[in-house]
Parts: sequence; C-alpha cells; structure tokens
Amino acid sequence: MAFGFKQQLGRGQYLLFSGTSFVLVLVVWSILSYGRFIDPFFLPTPSTIVGTTIELFSQHNLVGDIWASVYRVMVAFLLSAAIAIPLGVLMSAFGPIAALSEPPIDFVRYLPVPALVPLTILWVGIGEESKILLLFIGTFFQLVLLVMDDANNVRKEYYEVAYTLGANTKDVITRVLVPAIMPNVYDDLRVTLGWCWTYLLIGEIVAASTGIGHLIQEAQRFAKPEVVMSGVLIIGVIGIISDYGFKVGGKLLFGYRRS
Amino acid sequence: MTDKGTLRVEALSKIFDSGSADKGIVAVQDLSFNVQSGEFIVLLGPSGCGKTTLLRICAGLEEPTAGRVLLDRQTVSGPSRNRGMVFQQYTSFPWLTVIENVKFGLKYRPEVNQRHWNEIARHFISLVGLDGFEDSYVSQLSGGMQQRLAIARTLAADPEILLMDEPFGSLDTQNREFLQLQLLDAQQAENKTIVFVTHDVEEAIFLADRLLILTARPARLKTEIKIYLPKPRTLELKTGPEFLKIKREVLTYTREEAAKTDQLWRRQKKNEATPLRDERKFSLRRHKPKS
Repeated sequence: MAFGFKQQLGRGQYLLFSGTSFVLVLVVWSILSYGRFIDPFFLPTPSTIVGTTIELFSQHNLVGDIWASVYRVMVAFLLSAAIAIPLGVLMSAFGPIAALSEPPIDFVRYLPVPALVPLTILWVGIGEESKILLLFIGTFFQLVLLVMDDANNVRKEYYEVAYTLGANTKDVITRVLVPAIMPNVYDDLRVTLGWCWTYLLIGEIVAASTGIGHLIQEAQRFAKPEVVMSGVLIIGVIGIISDYGFKVGGKLLFGYRRS
Repeated sequence: MTDKGTLRVEALSKIFDSGSADKGIVAVQDLSFNVQSGEFIVLLGPSGCGKTTLLRICAGLEEPTAGRVLLDRQTVSGPSRNRGMVFQQYTSFPWLTVIENVKFGLKYRPEVNQRHWNEIARHFISLVGLDGFEDSYVSQLSGGMQQRLAIARTLAADPEILLMDEPFGSLDTQNREFLQLQLLDAQQAENKTIVFVTHDVEEAIFLADRLLILTARPARLKTEIKIYLPKPRTLELKTGPEFLKIKREVLTYTREEAAKTDQLWRRQKKNEATPLRDERKFSLRRHKPKS
C-alpha cells in the first residue's frame, strides 16, 4: 500500500507510522528498564523521568532554565540571521565582497566551537555575552555560506528579465534575488536553528548558572541520570515544537510553491 | 503612427573566448539588417547558429565584439525597458501572482500613475487571455499560460520593441498555434515592433512580415524573404497553396544550412579527438630528465 517508491503518504498513514516509531521507542525503553535488564541507575524508567520532570517544574524553576536557554538561542540566532542573510546576498551579488569575506568565513567555519570556549570567556567574560557569542560563531559562519549558495543558484534569466523590464541593480537585488531565495533561506534557518541548540549545551555546560545545559551539567556532577535524561528530553521536545512551527510557517509564507 | 521602434543592426560580430588563446568561437559574423517600426521580423536559423546571441546583443545582455545596434538611431548599451525580452525559458516570478508579475515593470514607467497600475495590468492580462487568473501563482499555470504571462508582462512595460527568443519552443503544437495567433493579435492591438527568433519554419512564415534566414554558425544573413500573406492571419493559411509555396522556398535554404551544421559538428568532434597526440608528446618530454 504505502511502500511504493517515492509514494506520498496520506495524513492518516503519516500519523500511523510516526506514532508507531514513538510507541516502539517507549516499549523498548519500558522493557529494558521495568524488566531490570539494565540497572535503573543507568537507565531510569519512563515513570521516573515523568516524575522527575514534574518535580523539576514544580520545585526547581525549570521554566526559568528553559527560558534562559530559549532566550540565548533566540538572540544568537536572530543576530546571526540578521547579519548572515544580507551579507550572503551581497557576497553572491558582488565578487569583491565574496573574495574579501570567503577566506575568513571558511576558516572559522571549520573551527570546532568547543575549542573557542576559553577564548570567548577571555574576550567577553562568563556572562550572557560569552554564550551568545559562542552560539553566534557556531551558526553565523555556516548560515552565511548557505545563503550565498542559494543566491548563486538563482536562474540568471530572472535577473535578465528584470533588467529588460527597466529595473536597476538595486531593484534586481531587492525585488528579484531576495524574494527568489527566501524559501531556501527559510529552510537554511530551520536547519541552523537545530545546530544552534547543540552549541547551546556547550555554552551552558561551561560557567553558567541557568539554562538547560547548566541543569544537565549539575545533574551529572551529583550523579542524577534521571535529571540528565529529563533535560535531554525537554530539549528534544523544544526542538520538535520549533521545527513544527517552522514547517507550518513555511507553508503559510511560501504557499505559492505548491501547484 | 510614430517612427518609434526602429532597429538597426550594423556590421555586428560576436566572438566568444573558447579557452584556447588563438581561436574563439565566432557566433555572429558581420551581420546587418534594419527593422521598421511596427514590423514583425523573424530570424530563422538552425539550432546553435548564434541567433540567441544576436538577440541578446540587441537586448543589451551581451556586448558585441564589433559593430553596433541602434534603436531609434540611439546606440544600444546595456539592457533597458525600451527593449523588452521574452525568453525561451519560463521566467515568470514564482513568488508573485499573475497580476503582480505584470505590474513588475510598471514601477519603471514614470509616466504611469500608481493608481492606474491595476487597470493597466488587467488590460494586458486580458489581451493574452489570462482573465480570471489574476491572483493565481505561477505554479498553478501551464507552460503556455506562463509564456502568455511573460508576453503580457513585457508589453506592460511598454517597450519600443519586443525581442522574442523561441518563446514557444517548449510548447506542444496546439498550444503553439494558439499562442502564435494571440501574439499576432497582441502585436496588432499594441502596434509593436517584434524581432522573433525561431528554428521552426512554419512558425517563422506564419508570423513574419519579413523573414531573415541565417546561416549555420557563424550567423550571417543568408537571404531575406518578404512574406505577403494577408493579415490578419488565420490558421487555415498554413495549409493553403501560397503558404506551401513559401515553405518550399524557405526549406531549400534551411536544408542547406542544416547540412552545414552537421558538417560543422563532425569537424568539431574530430578536433576534440586530436589533442591526444600532443598530450603524449608532453608526457614523454616530462619523463626524459628522470631516465
């Protein structure tokens, strides 16, 4: 039925299959933990995790931690998008700008972000700035090249037609290039937001007093695997929610792509 | 009627760098012709003969190597809205609706008040028969409709002359004939000069006031045929004796050029095979000092 090559799934079928994968994980987890196949210290039961999560919410200001993390991600992400999108566009539009900025961007892009932690602390201290700077470095340099690549892939006939209709270069950029790449840039943002969350943990594990990363780090120190798992699950849930939001937003913004 | 929309191509040549230093690819060679105001000129030539290059030079999208193009006695440099171009590829902007696409160029017509944009756009949309699709997106249009949209958008920008590069090349025969008729109607209504490039003999004869037959690469003027078929033209003409007579004449020219294109292709392939020998010589020389 649904197993033909490249066959589209109906909504019901999609929910069935994705629900199955969720249930499957839960079943395997339950068997391993309730059945004592794995020591509960290493793998707490689902009910322990639920209990721990509720406790974290009610007694440990988990909402504050979540907010601290979301805030850092949002600031760093918006900041890098606000600079990377225009810069990527300009790099694609004007050769000298690309030639000037590509070498340093490529260089930084290959640096492992954790290696920069000591430097960011040295430069901007251990406050919010160092975490945001770290996330910014992790996302900006990737995003700018993705945007440039999208801009390079716009069909040149679009520009030519705009010029023959009377547009100047400024208008060709703002009325053709930018709207043409928007759907792809939106997808780039969706992907890089995921990366941003992975760097968040690195930022918060080092010298933070709030945030989910901090929570996980503390739990590790006091050997509370159920809190670690709880924190990891919360990040996963936030990821699913934000990704779903991106998906829905994309359909609303770029509905014109559907035939 | 004004004399706006006259085009003059003077001793035009275009040589592309082929990478190897000594020889470039000659796309257009010493080509000259005139187009009168309101005239429908068709450039007919085999695929790859350089007719697209010629049209792109007229549009200002390429620089000529020698010679020049004049529109209304002004030398052309760079693209401008006085020379509208319709491409073979679909170029309607997918992020805009049909009416927004048509309105795109109105911003560059200072004489048009923004209050009239919708009215003007609707006029050209209905001129190409897209009424009712004003708010559709490009992804909802067929290929033929997209080309009609491209024509409407170009006409709305009010160019002196329309340059059309095989705009119906990727359409099926029925759609193509329908669009040919519509284009003739639109030209009549708007009184525009058109330079139309195609390799389709029937299309060329059906549309043209004057037919310029080009040679295989490089594009040179082989001959010029004035088409005296009555206007407005109907599809029945295509099977009439007059049409077939012209077609027979045109085909004798185009078949000659097609044969030449074939020879050209074979020679090119043969040339591509020869460098092997040079390579061997080079590698022998390189290994010598070692032994």
